[in-house]
Amino acid sequence: MHDVWIAGADMTRIGRLREPLGDLMAVAAHTALRRANRERPDSIVVATMNPEEFLGDGNFASNVATHMGFAEIPSIRVETATSSGAAAFYAGFAQIAAGLAHTVVVVGGEKMTHLPTPKVSELIGRSIDPYERSYGTTMPAFAGLVTRALMSRHGVSELEIAQVAVKNHANGARNPLAHFRDEITVDVVLGSRMVADPLRLFHCCPISDGAAAVVLTSDRTSVRVAGIGQGTDVLALRHRDALTSFRATQAAASAAFAMAGFGPSRVDVAEIHDAFAPFELISLEDTGLFPPGKAASATLDGETALDGRLPVNPSGGLKARGHPLAATALAQLVECVWQLTGYAPKRQVACSVALAQSIGGPGTNNWVTLLEAR
Amino acid sequence: MIERLAASRCHVCGLVAAPPARWCPRHPVEMTRTSVIGAGEVVSFTTLHSPPEGFRSPLHIALVELSGGARFVCHGAETRGLRIGSRVAIEAVDNVYYFSHLGAIDRARLFWSRAGRAGERLSAIARSVAKRGWKGRSRGEG
Repeated sequence: MHDVWIAGADMTRIGRLREPLGDLMAVAAHTALRRANRERPDSIVVATMNPEEFLGDGNFASNVATHMGFAEIPSIRVETATSSGAAAFYAGFAQIAAGLAHTVVVVGGEKMTHLPTPKVSELIGRSIDPYERSYGTTMPAFAGLVTRALMSRHGVSELEIAQVAVKNHANGARNPLAHFRDEITVDVVLGSRMVADPLRLFHCCPISDGAAAVVLTSDRTSVRVAGIGQGTDVLALRHRDALTSFRATQAAASAAFAMAGFGPSRVDVAEIHDAFAPFELISLEDTGLFPPGKAASATLDGETALDGRLPVNPSGGLKARGHPLAATALAQLVECVWQLTGYAPKRQVACSVALAQSIGGPGTNNWVTLLEAR
Repeated sequence: MIERLAASRCHVCGLVAAPPARWCPRHPVEMTRTSVIGAGEVVSFTTLHSPPEGFRSPLHIALVELSGGARFVCHGAETRGLRIGSRVAIEAVDNVYYFSHLGAIDRARLFWSRAGRAGERLSAIARSVAKRGWKGRSRGEG
């Protein structure tokens, strides 16, 4: 297997954007190529979760390649629900590791703010088991069930969960590309309206548009892909033993660390899938970055803040940077690359190993990616 | 009166699925049909204040661990007084399952929480009352 390196990474602003998705993705991919000093890739990997329903457009691998002016370069699309960007990164990684390509651009994007919120919720919720969906189970409902169990069975407090959102907003305020750039207080979180009891509006990430891209290469650069792991679980919540941990993240982390040949103690900074604030606490323990039962109090103690022992979501996370679905995992990796190469002004942390974790659907197709500065 | 719910069991891992599934989600084997008691313990529950299209707000959803081993997703009329670990009964109305840990008035109210025309709701309540009355009589006779 060839070593795989990152030659460049870039992304668009995240938020309510006017440009067509094909253009957003082309912009992200071209700026990433420019940063990588590459004119054209051998191959393009595209991640979009559901442009068929959000936009009425399909055949998106060709759509993006054509928007980029690279209609004659081989392009494929990869999809694993909300973690599609990480799956596409894996596909690009595999092409280079196998020696099938020398330079691959991986680009993810989504556009959905033009639709009403209930419609977007319903479309994202289609990644849930059909029977459970027939009872009105949406992603917030799934997260509400998980959160109540977390609070009741593990004694995680409202304050500890709210602090995740407060911390990620504080980080987002330092990221010029973030969807939300305002700091918030615990009172704002706890005073926001109930969405899926006990989850409130400010525990939930926004609906966002945006695109992000990474250029992978077999040439040695300053950032190496140290490990990638995928983990999966049954679609139906009712068929799982555990409600307050995700088997899919645990399996992904264990595979990624096995490939990297080091453990969680080497990680200096992490981008975590905080689609709902309590998921950050669960994910920090599922990835092994914190021992079971310790992430909540560590968050309250500031250990995961920018100046803490292990800064988590310096970009603002899904909560403040935003969550343009298939772009999200790539935006996490862009942040990791920028942190590792000293290109994260106002939120720069000292680091040589970065971890990105992405959740697909209701925790059924999760990924952990490890990047290392060399 | 406790109902029995159709379910299926995996002969490899013992997983019980309700409603029944053809294949075990964890093993590539066909499941065998069984049934489980429609009563159990609340694993977790939530209330949606902006439910998806076709449902009325607030929408109460619970995950219940049935006595037969299966976990089950269902609706409820009310979550007042409900806790993780509460004992609840599961009851089907028009093929939709509801948990209930409360009295008869709350049972009637729960049918209103399901979206639908008023006439359909009234007839659902009437059917449930009739079913209860009939079950009560048969229990009395037995």
